[in-house]
Amino acid sequence: MAVLAVLALAVVLVFVERAYRVFEVQISGLILSVITTSGVEVVGERETVYFGLSGATPLGLRMTPECSSVFMLLPLFLVTAIMLWFRPVNARRLFFSLAVSALAVILVNQLRVLAIVGLVNWLGVDEGYYWGHTLLGSMVSVLGGAITLVLFVWLSTRKTKQVA
Amino acid sequence: MNVNTLKVLLSITQAFALTMSVAFIVYVVVIVVPYLRRKPAPVGDPADFSWHFFVPCRDEQTVIRETVRYLRATFKHAHVWVVDDDSEDRTARVVRSLWRRNGGFDPYLHLVPRRRPEARTGKGDALNAAYQELNGWLGEDARRDEVVVVVVDADGRPAANCLEVCAAEHLFGDSGIGAVQLDVRMSNVTTPPLRKSWISRAFGLKLAQMQDLEFRTAIAAIQTSRGFTGTISMGGNGQFTRLTALDSIAGDTAQPWRGSLLEDFELGVHLLTAGWRTGFTPDSHVAQEGLYSLRRFLVQRTRWGQGTMQCARYLRRIWDSPHVSTLGAAEMMYYLAQPWMQLLGSLLYPIPFILLLVSTAGDPAQVWAWFSEGAWILFAIYGSFGLLPFIVWGPIYQVKCLRNKNILRGIGMGMAYALYIYTFYITSWRALFRLVRGRNGWSKTRRNTEHTPGVKVALDS
Repeated sequence: MAVLAVLALAVVLVFVERAYRVFEVQISGLILSVITTSGVEVVGERETVYFGLSGATPLGLRMTPECSSVFMLLPLFLVTAIMLWFRPVNARRLFFSLAVSALAVILVNQLRVLAIVGLVNWLGVDEGYYWGHTLLGSMVSVLGGAITLVLFVWLSTRKTKQVA
Repeated sequence: MNVNTLKVLLSITQAFALTMSVAFIVYVVVIVVPYLRRKPAPVGDPADFSWHFFVPCRDEQTVIRETVRYLRATFKHAHVWVVDDDSEDRTARVVRSLWRRNGGFDPYLHLVPRRRPEARTGKGDALNAAYQELNGWLGEDARRDEVVVVVVDADGRPAANCLEVCAAEHLFGDSGIGAVQLDVRMSNVTTPPLRKSWISRAFGLKLAQMQDLEFRTAIAAIQTSRGFTGTISMGGNGQFTRLTALDSIAGDTAQPWRGSLLEDFELGVHLLTAGWRTGFTPDSHVAQEGLYSLRRFLVQRTRWGQGTMQCARYLRRIWDSPHVSTLGAAEMMYYLAQPWMQLLGSLLYPIPFILLLVSTAGDPAQVWAWFSEGAWILFAIYGSFGLLPFIVWGPIYQVKCLRNKNILRGIGMGMAYALYIYTFYITSWRALFRLVRGRNGWSKTRRNTEHTPGVKVALDS
């Protein structure tokens, strides 16, 4: 039952991926409005966050399906479902590790967006976006993905402390 | 299919491809560290145990004489049990001639003859025959917990120190240890094959060196890290098992080895799920011949891949066992998933390249602009991440195993190793086709010394 629920949740995510992307840009807008002062606007219909609005070079970042973290959650759901199927007794631990790791995936993608924004502010639109979207963005994705996987494996497989 | 659906599908494949790649990078980092930090462990007294070498043979006349001579000369108090699996050559005759020596009989050499239709049904069955013979020979009063069975290939050369290494306190000196696997090396890494063209000789030698690199670095590292997950697996050569451990899984039919193509891994699964612990030691090794022929190599790896696929049936048993931790079960599942992930990867990884080709054909100028304006960095990054987990073993092999500081040569070896590993994408597909067609016979790869022009490179049962 729990296995089916996890798989169903993964399928639902695919169907609501656009709403998820809107949610992601809204979070980005929220974070940017806290840490920057140059004006931020989120346009949900276009899954886009605009920043630097009061400056000379405002820029919009669109959260496309390829840039979103929504599909990065699917492998986690799949592995959770498999482990749940084989050892249902670990359900609580698995749900906890899935929740923490999913949160990490979402945060890593936000970090990637912030890295692009930071580089655009630092190096200008052309060069900043160029390095932010390619090199730094990819590095953040890979390293963040690695940290997330380690976190998931550690949380889902660690031994319970024996009570004396 | 509209554009958005296509984008979603592409993003899903991209997410799975990235996750699989990142998982592999993390896995390599996790196994490299304990491998590099490991120090040699203390040895024990071989006299505390009774050692019995099992040598399964199916048409092994080209190698068995030297192997038996080596085993008898190196391990004078160990028994050697040669299982002749109804060989069609002179294997049995060679063993009998070695048995009758100096006008008497060698009490430490035993021939276990098998005849069809019982014979030639798989390596596991051959080993079970030796196990049953040993049981009869030992009698009822034997201290079976002090008896150790060693499986060696017909061309295997266990190092002279292997018994004292395996007798150590942390290995068979620990009564909870049921089996120990030795490090495996290739004996012919400096001997080129006898072939006419220099390219063919160089290729054959490099292939043997790649096998040596693979066993002494990547596989040894995997086994070392399995010490932490409690899931060290057994190999087909240099496999030491306590007799009581074999007894515990032999069942009423006295058959501890089962019928999959990966009977060695299968044995380890049965031991672990029965509550035994397994060990691995790189302090000693068994040497075997690396294959020179690419065709024979592909056949061997197809068999291994198919065996791994067959062993997926043990997943439920592994996860249900109270003796296997969740981390251990996850590790074994990851190992058993490898051929399936290679199949999936071979479908997923080319998708972006196919799309790129299609786009290039449609508008080459735009694709070139996209590529030169930054996309090349993505290619460089993901190409590096795809290759580095393999290339890293080259310098490690060069420095740690060959004691040579030529790092450039090590990087070259690592790049060759990356190419070598990519052959697994071929063998996994071949294994799947064999599995689907129900061809589960024992494909015994022919030895380098067997010259068989125009005939099959492997023998099916």
